[in-house]
Amino acid sequence: MTATDTKHQRFFAQNNVYLPHIAVIEKIIEETPGVRTFHFNFKDKKLQKEFSFESGQFGEYSVFGIGEAPFCISSSPTRRDHIEFTAQRVGRVTNALHRLGVGAEIGFRGPYGNSFPLDFLKGKNLVFVGGGIGLAPLRSLIWNVIDNRKKYKNIDIVYGARTPADLCFKYDLDAWGKDKSIKFVTTVDRGDESWKGKVGVVPKILEEIAPSAKNAVAIVCGPPIMIRFTFPVLTKLGFTPEQMLTTLEKRMKCGIGKCGRCNIGNIYVCRDGPVFSYAQIKNFVSSEY
Amino acid sequence: MANKKINKKDIAKLLNKWSQEFAVFVPSRESGVAEMAKWDGKDVSFLDWYRNTIVPPKANFLPQMEEMFRFQKDKEGYKIELPPDGAKQLIFGIRPCDARAMAIIDANFKELYQDPYYLSRRNSAVLVGLGCMNPSESCFCTSMGVSPAESKDVDLMLTDIGDEFLIEEVSDKGRKLMAKTTGLKGATKNDEAKAKEAKKTAYDKVTRKLDTEGIADKLLASFDDQDFWEKVAAKCISCGICTLLCPTCYCFDINDELVRQQGTRFRNWDSCGFPVYTKMPMENPRAEKWRRVRQKVCHKFEFYPMNFDVIACTGCGRCIRLCPVNWDITQVLESVPAKARVGK
Amino acid sequence: MLKDREMEQKLRNEARTLLEQGKVDWIIGFEAGSLKFSTTPLITKDKNDTERLVINPFIVNNLADFLTGIKGRVGIVVKGCDSRSVVSLIQDNKVVREDVVILGVPCTGLIDLGKVEKLTGKYRDELDDITRQGNKVTIRVNGQKKEFPATDVLFDHCLACELPTPKEYDLLLGEPSPPIANPLAQEKIEKLKQMTPEQRWGVWEKELSRCIRCYACRNVCPACFCQRCFVEETEPQWVFPAPRWQDNLMFQIIRNIHVAGRCTDCGECERACPVNIPLRSLTREMYDIVDELFQFKAGMDKDAPPLLTHYEEEEAEGIFR
Repeated sequence: MTATDTKHQRFFAQNNVYLPHIAVIEKIIEETPGVRTFHFNFKDKKLQKEFSFESGQFGEYSVFGIGEAPFCISSSPTRRDHIEFTAQRVGRVTNALHRLGVGAEIGFRGPYGNSFPLDFLKGKNLVFVGGGIGLAPLRSLIWNVIDNRKKYKNIDIVYGARTPADLCFKYDLDAWGKDKSIKFVTTVDRGDESWKGKVGVVPKILEEIAPSAKNAVAIVCGPPIMIRFTFPVLTKLGFTPEQMLTTLEKRMKCGIGKCGRCNIGNIYVCRDGPVFSYAQIKNFVSSEY
Repeated sequence: MANKKINKKDIAKLLNKWSQEFAVFVPSRESGVAEMAKWDGKDVSFLDWYRNTIVPPKANFLPQMEEMFRFQKDKEGYKIELPPDGAKQLIFGIRPCDARAMAIIDANFKELYQDPYYLSRRNSAVLVGLGCMNPSESCFCTSMGVSPAESKDVDLMLTDIGDEFLIEEVSDKGRKLMAKTTGLKGATKNDEAKAKEAKKTAYDKVTRKLDTEGIADKLLASFDDQDFWEKVAAKCISCGICTLLCPTCYCFDINDELVRQQGTRFRNWDSCGFPVYTKMPMENPRAEKWRRVRQKVCHKFEFYPMNFDVIACTGCGRCIRLCPVNWDITQVLESVPAKARVGK
Repeated sequence: MLKDREMEQKLRNEARTLLEQGKVDWIIGFEAGSLKFSTTPLITKDKNDTERLVINPFIVNNLADFLTGIKGRVGIVVKGCDSRSVVSLIQDNKVVREDVVILGVPCTGLIDLGKVEKLTGKYRDELDDITRQGNKVTIRVNGQKKEFPATDVLFDHCLACELPTPKEYDLLLGEPSPPIANPLAQEKIEKLKQMTPEQRWGVWEKELSRCIRCYACRNVCPACFCQRCFVEETEPQWVFPAPRWQDNLMFQIIRNIHVAGRCTDCGECERACPVNIPLRSLTREMYDIVDELFQFKAGMDKDAPPLLTHYEEEEAEGIFR
């Protein structure tokens, strides 16, 4: 294993890796009835300036007195006037988060985990495949790539949700739809009266669009069932396992590889992930992913 | 440097001396339950009954329930405060299996991110080992590279040579402590010979054996053998005894508590045996019991060795002794098929 | 002990036959454990495994605990208390009577190795053997024999037992044995009842401070079959997850209320506890309260409705005003 990661040491509060920094919520966007995006900044202005992270990394967010939960950082490191994360209301901590208003103080620990390998993606055609709230980690990378457009070749984005109401980051979807340097397709499993776009599950639409695998990397994020059906489609299109990236989700607590919870075999999703290639996943000693 | 020795009758005096610098913990028994507890200044009756504690000494370094920090909200917002530092501990009577276990799980708490709570307790503590002269039928330490009466993982090692204990200095910390501890007699050649004999006798008393040759590979090959793991897990009742009381298990949970505007973040022991351990809103990868049992066995004998080059088991036997259904890890490991029966 | 050998042979033959004839999918019984004097559950589909079935004074587990987690028809070995747990599960509609073949063991009480260790001052693996002859138990240590009255070494719940021989069974493996119903069994509870509330609070603070929240007490209990236990809920969080003694007490109190009317005082919760918390002092008292208030003992009649989840219109008299 690697030695102590000094890159992140300077972000530890009081040299104690479990102490969160205080952050203040500046804006709350209701993406869908159960999903909210929170914009925040650190109370400590010095930290606010110095703090940096990479696309794909996550943080541990505290609602003091209720608990702590991990969410990916959904904003891009190229856009640093504030930091964003997106959370779906499913349990104790997320329910408490959704009860918070602008100005509320939360805790933040991080950034943790590995990140999307930008060097590997440089000069390649990128195919982003997202489903539902799975767009959150992808979004950080997409804006990162768009802000450094010349470094990458073609960009294809296929994004879908169960219904039009479940589409997240609608403001981004508008922007990407208007961006002529991106091929952008949205789809829903079930449309409604006003829906004019494609209808069909994401893997099926991806198969229809059939992006070329030549010099390409696919980055897939979404509900586990979507990922499990997307990998075979990509394989059919000629993508090798090394050309497919994803982020894995496992129940996490400490976020730093100590509490044991998020392991898949001998790897910890919080420490060795959450970004993995399909090639790495196939080599896990545990088939539990 | 010649070894010292101490008469069993003088142990209380020695502990008193050490109590001036350390919070001294000794084996204590309440309601028939042996645990390491703060020494009361007088009682050394454990010398008569002590075999091993039920709660392993990991509780002194990773407490069952531990305060991580306190927080308070005032009109300026949240303020976070660390708990005060605890006293330096001296664990008297730790067995080689438990001392080795601490060395094994150190790796987890040091690697990549340093765990400040565990490491500050660990670094400031002194371990005074006591050779185990009467191992239990459930012990299999000798198969896990541990000697019941010999240890490199303690600071001082005591060996029973009749009316006295031989005291060996094992680490620098131990040497430093002995330099400060005056009034001890020097050990004679005869004493050394008696100690050597006692250690060998103790070693031979451990009759339960386990062959761990190639166990990681066997477990790797059998990972997807659902049939095998279902049979293995059939009588397990998914409680937390084998994991919570295992000296090499360290999984923990983190929980907050709030009373009006102030509260505390705690961490407490957790177990991969519990069904909710891996539960997520949409799915639970280990909902079935056989998957959890597989995780426990494979983590200790395959995954942890892959990361840290050491099997996370020291043969202390607690899991076998205390399991309500007498599920036996040595029997399970012996029954792992030598070759894969299903493809991956 | 001779009776045990005869019962064993009868059991092995019957279990083998049941599997051979496809009358059951599983046999759940006891086999020799890996520690001295211990037994361990045998759960098998293989008729050859039935050779390993045993009956002896150490068959402690309440095997009814496995019924709610298994699919298929089961031939299950039960003592009196366990058979009542099976009946209680049938009353609760968790087990279908036709899906179980109840192999009843008339029980004369099981030997508590904890009591043996305390009496002899030796660990169990330092004893040569333990044998029971009626009212006496002989323990041999280092070749020396010592005799004790059986009531000194039987489990408290065995001393209290009202139904050692199963009432509901498909096959009874031996001659019925009489209840022991020895008042010694209630000693601990009587002592607690004499105390003031403050003193009792102090007792439970001391005992439950040792609790490590392993949930063995809950998991060995056949009456605890909920897929998701209240203690694992986070929204709302009924009980704090960490082992603070007040929260440990809350867990015990709520669990006792949940199993009231279904607990048969099999004593497994207390035996399974690795830190010797006298849990039976709570469960048995609840059992006695249920008997006192409702004249109901769990698992005595498979056709009786379960106590606290069923009520007749007449029972509402005087309750709703």
